[in-house]
Amino acid sequence: MQGLRAPPDDLSVLERQGACLLNWQQQGREQSNYNPRGGGYCRQMQTSFQALPSGCGGEKNANHGDVHGSIDCFSNGWPDLANIRYPVHGAANVEETSITNVSSNSSRKRKADKSPRSKEKENGGGGKGDSSCKRIKEETGGGATSETGQPNKKEAASGDASKKNDKPPKTDCIHVRARRGQATDSHSLAERVRRERISQRMKYLQDLVPGCSKITGKAGMLDEIINYVQSLQRQVEFLSMKLATASPLMDINIDNIFGREINPSCKSGSTAMIGMSSELLDQSYLRFDSLQHPHPCSGLDTFMDSSDLVLRQNVNPPVAVPDASFGSSFDVNGCSVWSTNLQSLYGVDFQQGRGAALPF
Amino acid sequence: MLSRTHFIYISACVAAFSPSCLLSFSVAAMQVTEAFKHAFLKQMLLGFQASAVSTNSMGFQERKNAIKLSADVAMAVARGSRKWTRGLIAGLSEEQQNRSFLQLILGEQYERRLMKPCYSSWKIPRCRKIVRRSLRVCCRRQKKKKNQSGVLARTLVEKRTQQLKRLVPGGESMDGFSLLDETLDYVLSLRAQVDLMQSLLTTVESSKLRSHSKRTLPERKASYVGK
Repeated sequence: MQGLRAPPDDLSVLERQGACLLNWQQQGREQSNYNPRGGGYCRQMQTSFQALPSGCGGEKNANHGDVHGSIDCFSNGWPDLANIRYPVHGAANVEETSITNVSSNSSRKRKADKSPRSKEKENGGGGKGDSSCKRIKEETGGGATSETGQPNKKEAASGDASKKNDKPPKTDCIHVRARRGQATDSHSLAERVRRERISQRMKYLQDLVPGCSKITGKAGMLDEIINYVQSLQRQVEFLSMKLATASPLMDINIDNIFGREINPSCKSGSTAMIGMSSELLDQSYLRFDSLQHPHPCSGLDTFMDSSDLVLRQNVNPPVAVPDASFGSSFDVNGCSVWSTNLQSLYGVDFQQGRGAALPF
Repeated sequence: MLSRTHFIYISACVAAFSPSCLLSFSVAAMQVTEAFKHAFLKQMLLGFQASAVSTNSMGFQERKNAIKLSADVAMAVARGSRKWTRGLIAGLSEEQQNRSFLQLILGEQYERRLMKPCYSSWKIPRCRKIVRRSLRVCCRRQKKKKNQSGVLARTLVEKRTQQLKRLVPGGESMDGFSLLDETLDYVLSLRAQVDLMQSLLTTVESSKLRSHSKRTLPERKASYVGK
């Protein structure tokens, strides 16, 4: 996620894009490259453009009359596009759906413009003043885009289309492109946006739920999702049952687990291990104090046992970690924090008079 | 000429956004981060300690319920603040026996969450007039064109949506789109929960095996001190 950064001011970017487009046109390649194949062309562009950040400027395929040859000029004229990363969860999705809808139409009918829009500048050299298209665009980032976008959209849909211009540039604006032969009133547009978002989410869920790639209906998909959620919940129940059978020994073993799991990943040796268990134990001790645990000595006993076991881990070579992900989840990052806990750990320990054998 | 250039421009935009589209999905997938695993395990073990799961005084069912409760709370806490997490905790706190446990675990956060209105039983308020009017329009439309298959499909979807709302915690008060969003998040968290519990189980079991196969504790300690 290092490439993520907030997009620059949208107008300026799009103005730049418009200028680049003009630049690109002047190179005179569009004649051979433009192929009104609709989605196929789009996809080709996508794949070749994806290769762009990696192989930027390296390829000079002047011979090809196809799209790949045109990528060179992209690398010259569209430097910004490769770097733009939209951190918005929902933004790019919506953008993609809108634009794939657009590109799926092989030709677009120009409709009379209803009202001037301030954002029409991005059309650049296209000169699309005679089209009544509204475009989907989401400017701000954050996970709340989908939520904030919806009220904005509804607000725009209910009122006149020109009201969108009054919105401050910081809030999300959703502009919808009208398709050929479809109603352009605000209600159906809003509904279409809503449906597209839902289908976008369904697509994500399709990727998530195993075995869903063949099912295309909404009802079937929902059925699969329900089954999957139910099975996961049942699995949680089953695992908690198994843990319940294993739990009488868990108190000691928990600390043992942490002691062992830290060892493979931690290079700094014993202190981190002891520190890790001590951090958890300290917290649990705080809980015990507030609880006024009925068996305080038993807690200390287990604590002592755990420290002995940790000792044992120090001396013994670590056993192979049964689950790599488990071990990897405990990092050495908090070592400095843990070392401050060591004092309290050994403080309690010394009170018991057993501190002699603990290594540092 | 105009249409062509515009088309190319649009497709270029798509090309620009498609890598970020993949990224955005991986953002969604990446929410099961190390931090999540950390928080989940820590919270769950704290829950175990607080409910004293390791003592032998509890019956099997009781222990199992306590473990499940700890796991659910851990998942909700590790995920942060989402609609389904709030719904989950609200649902759990509806039962009297869970409340003390939740209070313990969550501390002052619990009070804060209780102060917020409980959304699990909140239904989307609908004005009666509007509902009646829309029903009339729907009936009129249906009289015009009897689209049986469409109606059937829609009712199926409706039924399934209702079922999903019951499954996802806090789902009753969500509309269709946010329901799908929350389901996505919930499924990811559930998967992570299952994986983490599985790994915890395997390590507990393997450590149990190891400890059974070793000698008793004092002998070991004596031998190590000598080294």
